[in-house]
Amino acid sequence: MYGQETDPDYPTKLAEFEARIARGEKIEPGDWMPERYRKQLVRMISQHAHSEVVGMLPEGAWITRAPNLRRKQVLLAKVQDEAGHGQYLYHAAETLGATREEMLQALLTGQAKYSSIFNYPTVTWSDMGAIGWLVDGAAIMNQTMLAQCSYGPYSRAMVRICAEEGFHKKQGQEMIIQYAQGTPEQKAMAQDSINRFWWPTLMMFGPHDSASTNSDELTRWGIKTKSNDQLRQEFVNELVPLLHALGLEVPDPDLRYDEESGNWISGEINWNEFWQVVKGNGPMNAARLQARQEAHDNGRWVREALAAYAERDV
Amino acid sequence: MDTQWPRYEVFKQDRPGEPHESIGTVHAVDAEMALQNGRDLFARRPKCHSLWVARADAITSKTAEQLAAKELATDNSWQADIDPQAPTETYLVFQKQTERRGMTFTTHVGEVEASSPVHALQQAIAIFPAEQVFVWWVCPASAVTRSEEADTLPMFAPAQDKLYRLPNQYRTVFTMQKIKRGKDVIE
Repeated sequence: MYGQETDPDYPTKLAEFEARIARGEKIEPGDWMPERYRKQLVRMISQHAHSEVVGMLPEGAWITRAPNLRRKQVLLAKVQDEAGHGQYLYHAAETLGATREEMLQALLTGQAKYSSIFNYPTVTWSDMGAIGWLVDGAAIMNQTMLAQCSYGPYSRAMVRICAEEGFHKKQGQEMIIQYAQGTPEQKAMAQDSINRFWWPTLMMFGPHDSASTNSDELTRWGIKTKSNDQLRQEFVNELVPLLHALGLEVPDPDLRYDEESGNWISGEINWNEFWQVVKGNGPMNAARLQARQEAHDNGRWVREALAAYAERDV
Repeated sequence: MDTQWPRYEVFKQDRPGEPHESIGTVHAVDAEMALQNGRDLFARRPKCHSLWVARADAITSKTAEQLAAKELATDNSWQADIDPQAPTETYLVFQKQTERRGMTFTTHVGEVEASSPVHALQQAIAIFPAEQVFVWWVCPASAVTRSEEADTLPMFAPAQDKLYRLPNQYRTVFTMQKIKRGKDVIE
């Protein structure tokens, strides 16, 4: 069911497969698919799952320091959701023959990639607002696109995740709105969070289309239906007017409005920083990995106890 | 020691009377733990009345593409598998009925009596015809563990009160409109 290019029937089957995708049909586990399609999906889905799992860390660090009970309940629920999203996604990758164990091993040994945004520190409380509004907002744009993707299990996981992320984005936006209207100290705190998270959020959409190596195939096979630059532009267009309306500044001296296209045009992204963080040299890469490894080790006795319970004589 | 525990498919019923729908899998050492994990993973928000779990390897799944290929096959394995004398048991039948975007996969449509998974699939296709079925699932009823009616409240009620998990509890759009109209908003 995973087609190899050496198979004499490959061209015929590939044509049928691409015709199905063009008709808007979903590819389901058990259906024929090119091995390349399977590989690309496992790569994307497992990276996405790891991002959800590592994404718990920057916010988890603030649960005990939430300013009131409501904010604490909300943050706790949000971090719990991220754990759930990781599970949905590992499940989707498992339908393609990957095992949860090998994916977790890849994460724990530092071989697997995850979204670089989580390699930045969370230094003030309003970073919770900036992450919710900017980071989850950016993630929703990407995920709304992926909810339409051609692979059934990934698409369904994305629909569920998008529905839940709506809460994540809005609770963050609510916070930033409140602090922007609050005391000068609160407003300054919100501005500082926006300043630190703005550029890393724009980097989340990935390299420029001209430098993105995987895009053609992913587009043809209905995995990605919008390009990195398209999604990034949509995000900037949505956020800039809202931040301005709140009296907050966008930390981009070159940002300008283009009358003709109706787009807000950003200055150039610091791609050197992007690649440095991807390569493991971001401010928090080592700490995130260490936290995951410790959590895994500290949970060992629970896994052992459950396995022993399952082995019992009944 | 890190073992890859078996996968269980989880089926969720939103309200009494509605069908159970498959929503994903959990790993667990046994069915009881699978139900608990299923609750934690898929019932964090309101709208769950009952859960079923079944070991993923107890489910026989065929896509429309696989069934079509089988019909064209020259060998007879599609027929040969069925022994009319063999004892039967109850199988649950599930269908993926739509390509519409959604968060659930297959839907429970009913039961058949059959002597093997292939027999159950044939019975299902004969008894539950539909304009289009994209995926068929059959699973022996004996492999399914169900949350009990008495569990509904303790298992699923806690999520009912967690309204802060719902995006419509946040009036960000309305607030931004007010701010844009030049009004200060202190909540």
